Amino acid sequence: MKPAHLALLLIVLTAPVAGAHHSAAAMDFANTVEIEGIVKEIQVVNPHTKFVLEVTDDRGTRDIEFEAHSRNNVYRAGYRDGIVEVGDKIKATIAPMRDGSDGGYVTGFETADGRRVGLAN
Amino acid sequence: MLGKLSLCLRLACMLGLAAGVGLAQERPDFTGVWTNYRGPAFGGGGGGRGGRGAALPLREDAQRKIQEYQALVAPAGDTPGGYCLGTGMPGSMLGSGGYPMEIIQRPDQITIVYEAHNEIRRVYFGDRVIPPEDRLPERNGYSVGRWEGDTLVVETTHLREQVDQRYAHSDQATIVERYSLSTDENGTRVLTAEMTMTDPAFYTGPASEVKRWAMVPNGFLMTYECNEPIWLEHLETLAETADEN
Repeated sequence: MKPAHLALLLIVLTAPVAGAHHSAAAMDFANTVEIEGIVKEIQVVNPHTKFVLEVTDDRGTRDIEFEAHSRNNVYRAGYRDGIVEVGDKIKATIAPMRDGSDGGYVTGFETADGRRVGLAN
Repeated sequence: MLGKLSLCLRLACMLGLAAGVGLAQERPDFTGVWTNYRGPAFGGGGGGRGGRGAALPLREDAQRKIQEYQALVAPAGDTPGGYCLGTGMPGSMLGSGGYPMEIIQRPDQITIVYEAHNEIRRVYFGDRVIPPEDRLPERNGYSVGRWEGDTLVVETTHLREQVDQRYAHSDQATIVERYSLSTDENGTRVLTAEMTMTDPAFYTGPASEVKRWAMVPNGFLMTYECNEPIWLEHLETLAETADEN
């Protein structure tokens, strides 16, 4: 990776809140959690990327909508069109909702074939 | 004799041109792509410094307007950016860097592109400056530049009243930015902007902040398409309506 690209990627990784357009106060970026889910919907767009994941935990199986960074910054963090399809199982790092409700902010994820986006390698 | 005079004139002209080019090249060149400065000098950190965290000297009625706005948007966490609207000055400048900024410099105009929301500012010089009465108020205002030695001074007026950013302001605000170039101990080119905003309608005194960027060698900006999902959704609605009819 070229130094310039690395520098921009580091910015994406270290300052997710700064670039967020919605208020991030409701999400806990200091205590991220790892989850697994099946992709039901993905829209990599500006100003925010949207994921809907089918998640199973002790509260049962349900579809949960998550927000992520803008299309521009997700691309800078390594995302490319087609690496995630509906039906894929992904591992995601989530800044959860502070009130414990479903949802949160995807700060990075790993695709079924091991590609990492926005995660430290 | 005439031949010698002509030669002298041509030489003088060439020397004058060379001197002119030399003078033009003496200006610091800010052209390039810039990101937040995170280097060791200047106390570290790349975001704004100076005003952030400090209480702004807001007048009571301005404070009231801001509180009314915040009460309106707080429940849903709404922001202009969430609705594909750029931040406007001074937030567009102070917030740039996480999304990079590109500067394109020529003698009569400096164009600044902030990647987020494709916000563009144009800083005009000399004959390109239009009379104040012809300027259209905008969220990023109208900017006029001048050089004080190696410092670029940009004065921005004709702003729209905004309570939807950290440095809320009225349409009477004037923002002065002083840009200078330096090199840190690691050899990184650093661009510094000292921003001062005065606004007698909103503030009892000046509000100021310092912002630094680092040059991204061979960096590039991406287009920030934001409205396309809204358009596609509208087309879907049109198609559904057409099917129903």
